[in-house]
Order: sequence, then C-alpha cells, then structure tokens
Amino acid sequence: MNRLYILVVVMAAFLISCDKDDPIENGNDTKEPTGKIQIHFIHNVDGDPLVTHSMQYTNAAGNEYEIDEVQWFISDVFLHREDGTFYRIEGWKDIHYVDIDIPSTLKWQVFDDIPAGDYSGISFTFGLNEAQNESFKFVNPPESFMFWPTVLGGGYHYLKLNGKWKDTVGATRFFNFHLGIGQEITATDTTYIHNHFEVDFDTSNFTLQEGEKKDVYITMNIENWFKNPHIYDHNVWGGDIMENQAAMAVASENGHDVFSLSFGCCDE
Amino acid sequence: MKNKLYLAVLFLVALIVYTACKKEDKIDDPNGGKNGNDFIYDPTPYEFNFPGYFPTILNIPDDNPMTVEGVELGRYLFYDGRLSGRTHPDSLMSCGTCHIQEHAFTTGINHPVYTGGHPFGLTGIPTPQLTMPLVNLVFNNNGYLWNGMIHEDNPNLGSAAYGVEPLPEFHMRNIESLVWMGIVAPHEMYGSVEQTVNLIASIDMYAPKFQAAFGTPEVTYERISKAIAQFIRSLVSFDSRFDKYLRGELQLTEQELHGFVLFSTESGADCFHCHGGAQNPLWTTNLFYNNAKDSVFTSQTDPRDRYAVTGNPKDRGAYKAPTLRNVELTAPYMHDGRFETLEEVIDFYSDQLVYSPYAHSLMHKLPDGGARLNPNEKESLLAFIKSLTDHNFVTNPDFSKPDDLP
Repeated sequence: MNRLYILVVVMAAFLISCDKDDPIENGNDTKEPTGKIQIHFIHNVDGDPLVTHSMQYTNAAGNEYEIDEVQWFISDVFLHREDGTFYRIEGWKDIHYVDIDIPSTLKWQVFDDIPAGDYSGISFTFGLNEAQNESFKFVNPPESFMFWPTVLGGGYHYLKLNGKWKDTVGATRFFNFHLGIGQEITATDTTYIHNHFEVDFDTSNFTLQEGEKKDVYITMNIENWFKNPHIYDHNVWGGDIMENQAAMAVASENGHDVFSLSFGCCDE
Repeated sequence: MKNKLYLAVLFLVALIVYTACKKEDKIDDPNGGKNGNDFIYDPTPYEFNFPGYFPTILNIPDDNPMTVEGVELGRYLFYDGRLSGRTHPDSLMSCGTCHIQEHAFTTGINHPVYTGGHPFGLTGIPTPQLTMPLVNLVFNNNGYLWNGMIHEDNPNLGSAAYGVEPLPEFHMRNIESLVWMGIVAPHEMYGSVEQTVNLIASIDMYAPKFQAAFGTPEVTYERISKAIAQFIRSLVSFDSRFDKYLRGELQLTEQELHGFVLFSTESGADCFHCHGGAQNPLWTTNLFYNNAKDSVFTSQTDPRDRYAVTGNPKDRGAYKAPTLRNVELTAPYMHDGRFETLEEVIDFYSDQLVYSPYAHSLMHKLPDGGARLNPNEKESLLAFIKSLTDHNFVTNPDFSKPDDLP
C-alpha cells in the first residue's frame, strides 16, 4: 500500500512538472495582437511584366535593349511607425537573394509575428550595407555566385542585370549592369566606394490587422535604372561597369525611384 | 506475493524493451553463420574534411546517406571491369575505364585507347560528348552532364537520347542515375542491369562488402548505383596551390597573382562570372552558358545542348561551365573537345569569340572578339589556372583502384 502511495505521488509530481512549460492563462494576459507580412518581388519595365531574351525595350537614351538575367540582394528591411519608431522581425535580419530564374526567391518567406497596428512605411537596403558586405559571408550557391572579387573590394554584387542592346550602328552588344563596391584608384591608393542605398517608402501607410497575412509587393521597374536623374546610355558606359565607379554612381543615383511598393492580400 | 508480481512485471517490461532495441541492429551473418557470429549492421557515417570556405550544403539524397562502408564498396565497383556484366578481358568496362584519376576523372587526351580523349562504348559506339570531371559533385545542385539532363526535378524515366529504357526504376535525377545509364547506354557498357547484378553477385568478395554497406549481402542494381554514387560524392578536391594560398600556407608567384587579377576582373579576362573564384572555390557555377564558340546552333549541330533539356530557345548551344579545378589535367576542352590545350582555350577567349543570337549576355567581350590579352597576360592567366591543380587529389589512394581488384 505504501508503495502504491509513493507511485501515485511520483506520477503526480511528474505530471505537474510537465505542465510547467505550458503557458499559464490569467486575467492579466496582455499578449499583443499580431499579423504576418510576406514580401513578393516583381520585375517589370514601365509597368509591363518583364519579358526576358527579347529585344523589345527602349530606354530613355534611345537604346533598344533586352534583359536576360536579374539577380540582386535586399537587406535591412524595417517597418516604420508614425511616431518615428521602427520595427524589424527576426526573419528580416537575413539578407534575401532575388533571382528571376529561381521562383522560390521571388517570395520572401518569413514566419515571425508582427505587432498589429498602423505603420507609416517600409524601408530596405538595396544590396548589402558596408558592415554586412563581407567576403565569404555566403558559402552556398546561389548567393555565393554573387561574390564581388576581392581585388575590386570584395563582398558581393548588389545587382547583376544582364542583357543586350543595339549600338549606334545597330550591332548587338552585351551589357553586364553590375553594382557593388566601386574603386577610386590614385597613384598611391585605392579607395573603395560602397554604392548600396536605402529605399524608403515613408508615405506608404498601412494597417496590419490582428491575424492578417499581408502581402507586400516590391516592384523593380528596370527601365528606371536608366533614367532620372541621369540618362544612362549603354553606348557611353559600355558593357561592363564593375571597375567604373562613375557608371556605378550614376546607376545608384538612378536607383532612388526604381522600386515601388504595393499591397495585396490573400494570394494563396 | 504482490512484491514478487511487481518485480516480475518490471523485469518482463525491461526484457521486452531490451530485446526490441537489439533486434533492429542484428542481421544474419553473411556467411550463413559459419563464423558462429551474428552480424551487427553498424556502418560508419562518412565525414568530409573540407575547408570552411567550401559550401556547407551537400547534395546527398536522403535515401543514400554516405557511409565509410558504402564509399569503399563504391570504390571497388567504380573500378571493377565486371560492372559491364561481362568477364571476357576485351569486354571489361567500369566507370574507371573512362574516368581516370590522374586526369581528374576525365578520360585524358593521352589515353592509349580513346584517342585524343574521345571515349567510345564497348561496342565501339562513340560517346557523344567528352567525359566531365568527377570532382566536388557533392556540392553540385544544378544537374549533371554537359546539358544538365540529369537533375533533381527531372520527371522523366530513362532517356531515349542516351539509350536508357523508360522503366520505373530508371529515374534520371542524380548520380545514382548516371550509374545505370553507364551500364545500359549503347555508347558506354551497352549491357543490362540484370547481367551486371548477377555477375557482381557471383563474385565472393562482394557479399561482405554489400553487407557492411547495406546490412545484407544482397546485390541489387539500386545498391550498386548507390555505392558508386557514394564513392563519386567522396571525390572532393580542396588542396591546390590556390587553396593553400587562400589558407595562408604559401604565397603565389607574381605571375600567378597577375593571372588571378586578370581572371577576376571585367577589364581582364572576366572568367569569374561563370567559373568562380576565391569565394566560389568550386570554380564553376555549374550553370549553362552559350560561350560563343559558333555562329549556328541547331538540333543537328548541337543535339545534346541545354536546349535539348529545356526547350527554351535561349539555351541553344549552351553547355555547363565545367570546373576549372584541375583543368590542367582534363584536356581536351569544351563539350566536343575542339581545343587540345589550355593555350588554345585562352586564345579562343582572347580573340576568337563568334557572334550568334544565342551567345550569353555575360560574353560582353564578344564584339571585340574576346578579352584581347597580350602574350604576357595569356601566360599569367595560364599560370594562375594551373595553380588550381590539386595534385593530392589525383594521387589520393582513397580514390584509386583497389590493389586487390583484378
């Protein structure tokens, strides 16, 4: 009888100890209402869906061109509130690779809960910021294929935009519109220029409802890389610009209105 | 009485648990118990030991985890000419017949039988394209063969183009698939898996090796392909002069460093976008490019290009960028072996690019004919490329033909 009593006590203690990990509900439970945000990436040319490998576009400089490959990095995504505070979920601390040939990269899957409420905008870094843009950060493809050679400053391409254009005599030429760390070389020194930039959609007010899964669409209008404030002429800058800081500076300055933000919902 | 019953129940439960646990590991002795010992299936997981700058994601199928025993069995089968399912000395053929270690597991331009490095099958049918090097494939997630026909998402069974029947057991998804393709393809062993399985099963030394690798001595085509695939995945190269330079173990020569800069810059030769670099030590993206070798690409001129797999016109004339690791040893070059030396390859990329609408847009030097390197630059580039040769890889006894194979 004594043994049975001990057994019952031990089992009861075991059950209680197991119960400990469960949340304890009480009248003071102040769990914050949350929702989720999923970012989608869209690439178009002046509003039309991108058609690759087809010489059907004309840029502001009058270059007929085609786009074949688009690969880029987005990082440092933040949500902003009207009061000036900002919020970042764990999943967005990663750097996301976007590749139009890899469909899975066109949707940034994060599962973190985000406090419901009103937000005034979203911002992100195009490419990788200086602190994060370190060589050997990525050892696995496809991100590792984006490396920027050490001799040119190291780290990673922010963007590879590959295509072709018709030159002044109508011959087809090839452009590798690649952005990353630039170099300014003097007789005695090389200075590295970080061409990444912040994209801030600061007037894109939205409300995240409790339990809502909001779909956010970041659209890259490829044509805008080639205009405003600078007309980018492939015949001037040529096919390769990784060692041409002047060209990359123009491209980066044009980048301010390349991206746009829109909202949708319930695409799944 | 109650105490005794209580203890008896406890003992019985413990006995059941113990017996159930032991049962899973105990398998009959491969020799029918003649040793008087039960066989315990306890394979040793295979561990890689590559540097930290290598990829960490490995392409190892869930249903074929690598073990020391599996790799060792695969090494025997890889080199055993009886893999062809035949025993006549003139009819022996294995993977190792065409994939020669000293040539980074390509055929090699100096092969005594396959003139110029162009292999042919047991019945004399030429192999349509050159052998690709078997190196660092455990890191490859972008398909196999020059056109990537073997790939993870391939829904097809068999391949008419390669003479493999569309049977349920012949998926075309990974290195395992390449094994049975090699056995049955007319331009390779031109045999049957049944014949191969029966012959391998009749060879005494294999029963314990299959048992050690897979738990029982049974020989199946699936186990043969899995073991060989494990061995091929074990062929990892990370010890070239350039690797040692990266690890701070030696300094490259001025000429090699000059070549590395040419390799890594758009103003130089711009090799790195397709062929990797210090931060992509595979020295390839394993992707497919039309590298401007010709002006015309059709299904007649290039029946096994990337287009043959995707059906997308942009892939006309596109082939996988082969790794440049050990490329010094893998002549001849390109999918068709049109260049016999690395000097010829460098001349091609320097001065001989040919326009076609299918040329990849990364070939931005095409309008100039190429990179336009001067003789000094060509020599430097060549010196750098030779620094990617891993002599330890091509002499590693773990990758060599076992001494006790006939």
